[in-house]
Amino acid sequence: MDKPDKLAQVEQDVLAAMKRPGIGYLAALGCSATLFLTLLGLWGYQMTTGMGVSGLMNPVGWGVYITNFVFWVGIAHSGTLISAVLFLFRARFRSSFNRPAEAMTVFALLVAGLFPLIHLGRTWKFYYLFPYPTQRMLWVNFRSPLIWDVFAVSTYLTVSVVFFYVGLIPDFAIARRYKEGLAKRIYGVLSLGWTGTRRQWKNYNQLYLFLAAFATPLVASVHSVVSWDFAMSIIPGWHTTIFAPYFVAGAIFSGTAMVITLVVPMRKILGLDRYITDDHFESIAKILLFTSLIVSYSYVVEFGLAAYSGNPFEMEQFRYRALGDYTVMFWIMVVCNSLIPLTLFVRGLRRNVKYLFVLSLFVNVGMWVERFVIIVSSLARDFDPYAWGTYSPSFVEVGITLGSFGLFFTAYLVFLKTLPVLSITEIKEHL
Amino acid sequence: MKRLPEMTGGQVVLFVLAGGVVALTQFGPLGHDGGTLLLALLFWAAVIEGCIAAVAACTLIKAKWVASVKRELLSVHPLLLFVSVLFLFLMPFVDSYPWIGREGIWFNKGFFVGRNFVLLLLAYLAARRFTIASNGDEEGRERFAGIYLFVFVVSQSLMAFDWVMSLAYPWVNTLMGGYFFIESLFAGFALSGILYAFLHGRPAPTHGPTGRSDLKDIAILLFGFSILWVGLFFAQFLVIWYGNIPEEVSYLLARTTSSPLRELSLSILAFYFLVPFFVLLPGRSKTNPFVVFAASFSILLGILVERFVYLAPIVTVRFGVLAIHFLCFLLLFVLLVGVKRETGERVLQA
Amino acid sequence: MERRMIFQDREEFLAALRNLAREGVPQERIQVETPFHVHEVDEILPPKPAKVKNFALVGAASGTVTGFAFTILTSLSWPLIVGGKPIISLPPFVIIAFALTILFGALSTFFGFLFLARLPSVSGFVPKEEFGNAFVITVEPGETE
Repeated sequence: MDKPDKLAQVEQDVLAAMKRPGIGYLAALGCSATLFLTLLGLWGYQMTTGMGVSGLMNPVGWGVYITNFVFWVGIAHSGTLISAVLFLFRARFRSSFNRPAEAMTVFALLVAGLFPLIHLGRTWKFYYLFPYPTQRMLWVNFRSPLIWDVFAVSTYLTVSVVFFYVGLIPDFAIARRYKEGLAKRIYGVLSLGWTGTRRQWKNYNQLYLFLAAFATPLVASVHSVVSWDFAMSIIPGWHTTIFAPYFVAGAIFSGTAMVITLVVPMRKILGLDRYITDDHFESIAKILLFTSLIVSYSYVVEFGLAAYSGNPFEMEQFRYRALGDYTVMFWIMVVCNSLIPLTLFVRGLRRNVKYLFVLSLFVNVGMWVERFVIIVSSLARDFDPYAWGTYSPSFVEVGITLGSFGLFFTAYLVFLKTLPVLSITEIKEHL
Repeated sequence: MKRLPEMTGGQVVLFVLAGGVVALTQFGPLGHDGGTLLLALLFWAAVIEGCIAAVAACTLIKAKWVASVKRELLSVHPLLLFVSVLFLFLMPFVDSYPWIGREGIWFNKGFFVGRNFVLLLLAYLAARRFTIASNGDEEGRERFAGIYLFVFVVSQSLMAFDWVMSLAYPWVNTLMGGYFFIESLFAGFALSGILYAFLHGRPAPTHGPTGRSDLKDIAILLFGFSILWVGLFFAQFLVIWYGNIPEEVSYLLARTTSSPLRELSLSILAFYFLVPFFVLLPGRSKTNPFVVFAASFSILLGILVERFVYLAPIVTVRFGVLAIHFLCFLLLFVLLVGVKRETGERVLQA
Repeated sequence: MERRMIFQDREEFLAALRNLAREGVPQERIQVETPFHVHEVDEILPPKPAKVKNFALVGAASGTVTGFAFTILTSLSWPLIVGGKPIISLPPFVIIAFALTILFGALSTFFGFLFLARLPSVSGFVPKEEFGNAFVITVEPGETE
């Protein structure tokens, strides 16, 4: 094929996803939208009836809602890693993944942002978290990790949206060319009138480089701040210095798995095999393996040092974590996060896309369970035996958890139909 | 069995001599306690393991960042054997660790010395195998890089937990292992900056643009690592500061409240982060060998001062003896790199 | 009279551009539109360095200053001892300042880009002519023509 034809072919292949939805798409959209409506319904029920409808009690005051918050913020990190960090490393293979990964980041952050609101109970008081001078001229407590979260996560959301949008500008110009009528106008406005002049490209390249440079430290810092929600306490199992890099590695691990979960079906259904190859998946699988090893290292160090320290509280907490009330969750976590990913040392399995898809599902489950184990087991059993208790999520919490997946997939399905699913301009550049 | 880069008889004698000098100063009337040797080993083990680790990491991700000094970096691996043997000289010193006498196999003195010695030895063997594979451009060198990195991580983690953290038993810092191996990798890249500045200096016009961009890659790496380092440092500091638990904070208090340790602690931040960050921030300095050398030297100084600050409140360090140990290591290091320069090929245009 | 050349092939486009540069046509009169960034264009017609990074630096620096100033001044305005921490407790304030550094830096870089690239350009929303994947050179009329 001639070069100009190839360029046009890329556009058509990618924009083909934006045509009229078929029955399969509508069915999937219907399912996820239903789950999302369930979330809203249950949330409304909780807001009107009270937090008692959840399983939260003394001593476990943080349960599934916070698990979901940490889980979804974690998922977001991998998108930024793929789009910003790999850009700085000049890794070519990034251009086939980065659009869906950036979309995943934005949507995961939006879902994550819901959970502090849900967890508040009296959601309408959410504005307490934002720094403004109250009626008594009292500002927020900047020494609290929860406020650090507000700053870190909102910064991350803003920068991710800006980065996502900036990457889309030239692609909106392409979409503007293919559409008619109202759609043409909308994409035209979104493209900001982009025409690809030298001045525009020169400034755009520097903008993209600096945005990538700004987003990169966010990959490490945001999830470190989230981990410090726990590490700033003094209870055994939470008060430990390794949390920051441990959580960041875990975030990239679970996010990469979610990228695989999203992109494998997307590639199949939209016929994008020419652009997302098995080589790309192998590179992603290597990231998965590497972060899995870091997570396993953290498990070993935490348990090892608890035994070494001779501190009876630490030792009991880790014994409880492995063998206590939540032992089933613990072993699911170990198998899914540490053992199964070891199979990725085998090159053939790294290149087997079906295997990667199944593995990614296991990792998603394992990482959700890991957050649950960390949060709940430390709260259930800390220093004073008279304060020990257990926790199990109620139907409201389970429903809201499933609903959060519904919201995420609804947003993602809408993205598939309205925005170019791959970064057309970057692919053209590397053809 | 592949041929390993044989050392000449003369070089082996020099190694034995150096070992002898160290032993003399260690056990003689000047040495007395092992604190000095511990500090010297903490520094040199980190730097040497880091050199090999830097090459191994670049090999695994197929990056050319340290390509121009790759062979020189790998040539220092015999020092790892030297370090392992010298570690055995620390055996009398181990009795002064606070956990001696506790029950449990982990606190058994023989197991302590054994596991650390074996790990250092394994690091040497893995480094040697990787060096052969890398110099011979073997097909499977990524596997040996991976094996070396695995041993490297375990060895550096144990160096942190066993050699340093347990000096303050029962103080626990779960991030220390990771912190030490990142610092070691950082040292490896810093040393590649120094080697590059010495060996290639201002590239002659005939070298073309490739010489320049290697230096820029190393500078960017050092810049990024300095940010990574300060993040890891802050992660440890914040958790201990915020929790304010007496058993944990006492470690920091001993090292940050009174002179001279207070000033030395601040200087660690400067050496590791402030100097490399601000010095390497402008684009032009990234291609200037002098600047990169200065930043690299600052980082290595930071490592030495930091390890000293860890040991200082607990262990006596005699600076004269330290200087002698350093000279021994430095001589051997220069010898190994110099020999490689003469017998090996010139600048690797990989 | 405006001269416009449209090329479907990249090499022809670059050859024509080299010809123009050799003829001595000043850069300001040459407008180029490309579907993606073509770095050879920068070699043939060297551009002035992009000024976007100034916005980035200023934004980031103002973020750091704002972060520290905001946290320190508000803590001092009502000095409450919370959790036994000092009134001006720098480690937490570093985190806030870091977040604002990135936030202000990214936003000011973006708005700086919009200003420097003269975007949004209303005429481009629904442009009269679309060149698609073609490489376009437009030479504006000079005084001598």
